[in-house]
Amino acid sequence: MTFPTICSITHTEIDLDALLAQITLPSSGAAAIFTGMVRGVTTRGEPHETVYLEYEAYQPMAEAKMKQVADEIRRRWPVVEGIAILQRVGRLYPRTPTVLIACTAAHRDTGVFEAARYGIDRLKEIVPVWKKEISPDGEEWIEGDYIPKAGE
Amino acid sequence: MMNVKVLFFANLRERAGSRQVELDLAPDVTVAGLKKILLEKFPALKDYLPTVLVAVDREYAFDDTVLSDGAEVALFPPVSGG
Repeated sequence: MTFPTICSITHTEIDLDALLAQITLPSSGAAAIFTGMVRGVTTRGEPHETVYLEYEAYQPMAEAKMKQVADEIRRRWPVVEGIAILQRVGRLYPRTPTVLIACTAAHRDTGVFEAARYGIDRLKEIVPVWKKEISPDGEEWIEGDYIPKAGE
Repeated sequence: MMNVKVLFFANLRERAGSRQVELDLAPDVTVAGLKKILLEKFPALKDYLPTVLVAVDREYAFDDTVLSDGAEVALFPPVSGG
């Protein structure tokens, strides 16, 4: 049986149930799901409010790099069965899910939590997506701090 | 001469005032050479080019990467998805 891998930039709502159905095999008994959403009120660091975030992606490269992240997950956690990596783009308001990483495996104690954690951490390093934050006081591009190395 | 397509994203796109340009370049121009040419065409990019990330044909590239005819080059800031 081949293991399903879904990697996608999407302009529409992320449908968790549909994704989960696609990455659940007869042998799957656990899914670790990370989703991130737009935070309207930030208290950590410099406290501020967010009206909305505007996401954009270099779609073909982003989807290729998501596939690379999925390959890296499979190398590190061969027990992982299905993988879904989705990033929503466009104008997204507080409480809206923006990103989803889901990994399935036979059991929960197989490293499947760590696999999903690795997926979101790597997405934030190498997948070409950016967001502009619109706050009551103005707008600002959020910039990451990771510089990819050759071959990443 | 060779032709390359240059794509701008996020704040680079806004500063350049353009999503995409096509350029005719001398053969064997490197990414560093392309940055110099872009600076002449888009002086507003001056403060951004030193820290910009570059992809050539959808793979991360570096100043010494040599461009080939038909290459798709993308310039963008460090990524901030999620």
